[in-house]
Amino acid sequence: MVQQTIDPNIEPKPAAGGPRPVNISARRHLRHRLSDYAARYYFLLSILALCFVLVLVTVFIGKTALLLFGHISPAQFFFSFDWTPEDEKFGAASFIINTLSLTVLTMLISVPISVGMAVLTAEIAPLWLKRFIRPVLDLLVGIPSIVYGYLGLTVLLPFLRNLSGEGLGDGLLAAALVLALMVLPTISRISDDAITVVPAKYRDAAYALGSTRFQVIMRVVLPAAGRGILSAVILGMTRAIGETMAVVMVIGNTPQLAKTLFTPSSVLTSNIVMQISNVEFDSTWNYALHMMAFLLLLISFVLILVIRFLGRKRRES
Amino acid sequence: MKFFKKVTFTALAAVFAVTASLTGAASAADSLSGKITINGSTALLPLTLQAAKEFQKLHPKVKIAASGKGSVTGPQAVKKGIADIGACDWDASIDVPGFKAFDGQVANKVAVIPFATIVNKNVGVDNLTTDQLKGIYSGKITNWKQVGGADADIVVITRAFGSGTRVNYQSKALAGGDIVKKDKNYKEVGSSGDMKTAVGSTPNSIGYIDLVYVTGGDIKAVKFNGVAATSDNVINGSYKIWAYGYYMTKGQPTGATKAFIDYVQSKKFQQGSLKKLKFIPISAMK
Repeated sequence: MVQQTIDPNIEPKPAAGGPRPVNISARRHLRHRLSDYAARYYFLLSILALCFVLVLVTVFIGKTALLLFGHISPAQFFFSFDWTPEDEKFGAASFIINTLSLTVLTMLISVPISVGMAVLTAEIAPLWLKRFIRPVLDLLVGIPSIVYGYLGLTVLLPFLRNLSGEGLGDGLLAAALVLALMVLPTISRISDDAITVVPAKYRDAAYALGSTRFQVIMRVVLPAAGRGILSAVILGMTRAIGETMAVVMVIGNTPQLAKTLFTPSSVLTSNIVMQISNVEFDSTWNYALHMMAFLLLLISFVLILVIRFLGRKRRES
Repeated sequence: MKFFKKVTFTALAAVFAVTASLTGAASAADSLSGKITINGSTALLPLTLQAAKEFQKLHPKVKIAASGKGSVTGPQAVKKGIADIGACDWDASIDVPGFKAFDGQVANKVAVIPFATIVNKNVGVDNLTTDQLKGIYSGKITNWKQVGGADADIVVITRAFGSGTRVNYQSKALAGGDIVKKDKNYKEVGSSGDMKTAVGSTPNSIGYIDLVYVTGGDIKAVKFNGVAATSDNVINGSYKIWAYGYYMTKGQPTGATKAFIDYVQSKKFQQGSLKKLKFIPISAMK
């Protein structure tokens, strides 16, 4: 419909000798223009509605979160390690640090593997293997995170327990392994796309200069796809930071700083989900949990801004 | 599908309840119609759902919407006027450790919930005293050797602060003692199901759970001060770790709400469906 009116060539010529050909065409034209307008405003309205909801969510969480600082000081929230809500102590520093270290650890594990897989699917693998790997990765994204968490709890934890000799096995390492598996398809599929769109002439030129295949991939293809791979990594990070259900089952949920890979600890998301249903509506505790949610929202927001920024730079260059 | 139905139904019921209370039509006791919204403890939810099913058969004009979350959400929902009944694993009309009393609410006893100390099946210990449990949960006892077991670190698994099970376990089994263990052998879980999985899959672990969940071969309930965790021992008074489940209402219940609570407390329901769900009738404790 839309294309028809935009492209005048598609407008059928009135039949020769037909009655009032000009009039019919004008009516058609008007009808198409009207439906165009309707469609445009419908889409505009949908987007505005979405923005409205997004603003509402941000404002609501932010408003509730900021009430916290009427009860305790920001310094206590951000720099104290003592999270004992029953004694009115709301220090979130250990959660913030744990969240950051969990994300870094997850990325350290998953980025090399997933970029390697992307190189394999985009550059090396024969067609039949590509056709097998890509749908499998897409399917992995669709598995609910709680399933990953349950597998982590029942399969990964006993394994880590045997490996390390620890009593529990819960902690940053278990959570990072589960998360790495979860973000792997995201990162590798998007990197795969970024590598695929690198123009063939770059490779040809490099081969013509006498490069080996390894040199072409490492020195030409990967740098050329660099920004795309970086935004894939950031998308993976946003998923890892916001993930709750899988993490909560394998991290141990103890509000303390993770000093070793096997210290049962807690991150922002897991602490929120463990406690939100048990707190009273109008309490400092509730505001503190909202502040933690707001913090997560801000982190994702910043990461998404970074992606947009990278995307624009890529188009400009 | 079922979930969405339930959500829609709850939402609709809430809207109806609000409009009904605005027009003042909610408390017509004689013909018994109206809407009852119930929120709160998941431990009591199976009981509530069963009772609602039976009650609606007797009084087709009464619509009941029930949902479950944490215990404390029950009295909170009643306080905010979202629910008529708040199911709670403790008496929320008085102060309990960590939670202030909800003023103006009445606690209606509806069931007895027994709790059990559970350990992983590899643990050789099958009896623990109050003092030993206190020692384990406060971090003074860290090895099974100290309580007569094998030489192995004790892995403590507990529910998050604010769980009804934890509130009751702390006051009954630990005699009010604290759960203050924060090191590498301490873990918190979010629900009774998680507790069962965690204790079942972690060697040398100890935890606590509603007695009705103690099934299957991976976990076993240990004796408390020499008394086995069974319904009979709860009834004859020798097993002490149990609590009443309550329906909290804003003031004395009226109308359909009162009729529903009466039905749950009736001999027919208490001796029938409630027992079948492995809760213990409140009359058994008198």
